[in-house]
Amino acid sequence: MRKLMFYVPLVLFLTLALFLLSGLFSNPMERESVTTNKPLPAFSLPDLMQPAKRWQPEQLHGETFLLNVWGTWCPTCNAELSYMTELKQQGVKIIGLYYVLPVDPLLGESFDLALLQADVSNKLQQRGNPYQFNILDADRSLSLDLGVSGAPETFIVDSNGIVREHHIGDINPQVWRNKLAPLYQKWRQQDGTE
Amino acid sequence: MKMLLRFLTILLFAMPAYATEEALQFENETQRQLYQQLTAELRCPQCQNQNIADSNAVVSVDMRQKTYDMIKQGGNRDDVLDYMINRYGNFVHYQPPLNRYTLLLWLAPLLMLLALVALQLKRRRQQADEFSTDAAAEAASGQSGSAKLDAELDQLIEQYRSKK
Repeated sequence: MRKLMFYVPLVLFLTLALFLLSGLFSNPMERESVTTNKPLPAFSLPDLMQPAKRWQPEQLHGETFLLNVWGTWCPTCNAELSYMTELKQQGVKIIGLYYVLPVDPLLGESFDLALLQADVSNKLQQRGNPYQFNILDADRSLSLDLGVSGAPETFIVDSNGIVREHHIGDINPQVWRNKLAPLYQKWRQQDGTE
Repeated sequence: MKMLLRFLTILLFAMPAYATEEALQFENETQRQLYQQLTAELRCPQCQNQNIADSNAVVSVDMRQKTYDMIKQGGNRDDVLDYMINRYGNFVHYQPPLNRYTLLLWLAPLLMLLALVALQLKRRRQQADEFSTDAAAEAASGQSGSAKLDAELDQLIEQYRSKK
């Protein structure tokens, strides 16, 4: 009995210590996305560079692609442009979803499309342009429907327009190699089936 | 001094206030209350451990706006919660539902209470056991506990006296 009473607190303490230790190395930003394995939400949004053209989800079907949520105001997004441009050269299809801030450091409270277009062209010239085209999400409605909590975030969308992966954070060589490339290849191989 | 005391007393009654409330128009008080309740209960996905009423992250601004729009269009509490949970998961609501992933979370307080009660009962039984074994030993030796102690005390006094 005495012995037991000695070990009980010890075991309790060790369990608690291990639990807290594991907390030190976990990432609280990482959680399962609920918008994956569902079709892209319905939307009809203008092209950033040719606003007369509107994009609907059906027009994106046919080939697995990355949907990259970004903005020139976001330093991490700018940092991943050059690596994503390399990916584009390797044949990865990337479509941008431009996330406009309610109060943009560049635009202020009023939204000026020409100014934004100039800023985007400038940035893409400097850093490389990984995008086939950019969809302009001026009121962030599609972003809200996709469960976007900030930029950058990237979705893998398969050829049937089903969202297959939701990655929060930037794309760098390590993240691509370890996490996104295997998934992208997997869905890419299934293009054209079904 | 009196002024200072008065000031400190007033400070005691200070209440926390959500800072980022916009001036919003509602049709009635119920809608306003629903809005306030929901924005206090919904959790910001970006700046964790803040509710959306309290946060000025872009996503919180959008979620507040959406909540407002839905309420204005006659949406009820469940409509808004379903909308948000369908996009941001159960994470986004400060009241997690009871399911197999959260079972432990909900049962933990009850389990702890039960464990404490069990421990307490066990202790009582042990004490009762000790008491009854003592009583049995005394009965066997034919001497009551206090008589035995008296004898020991007498002996000690005797020793002390003889040393003197």
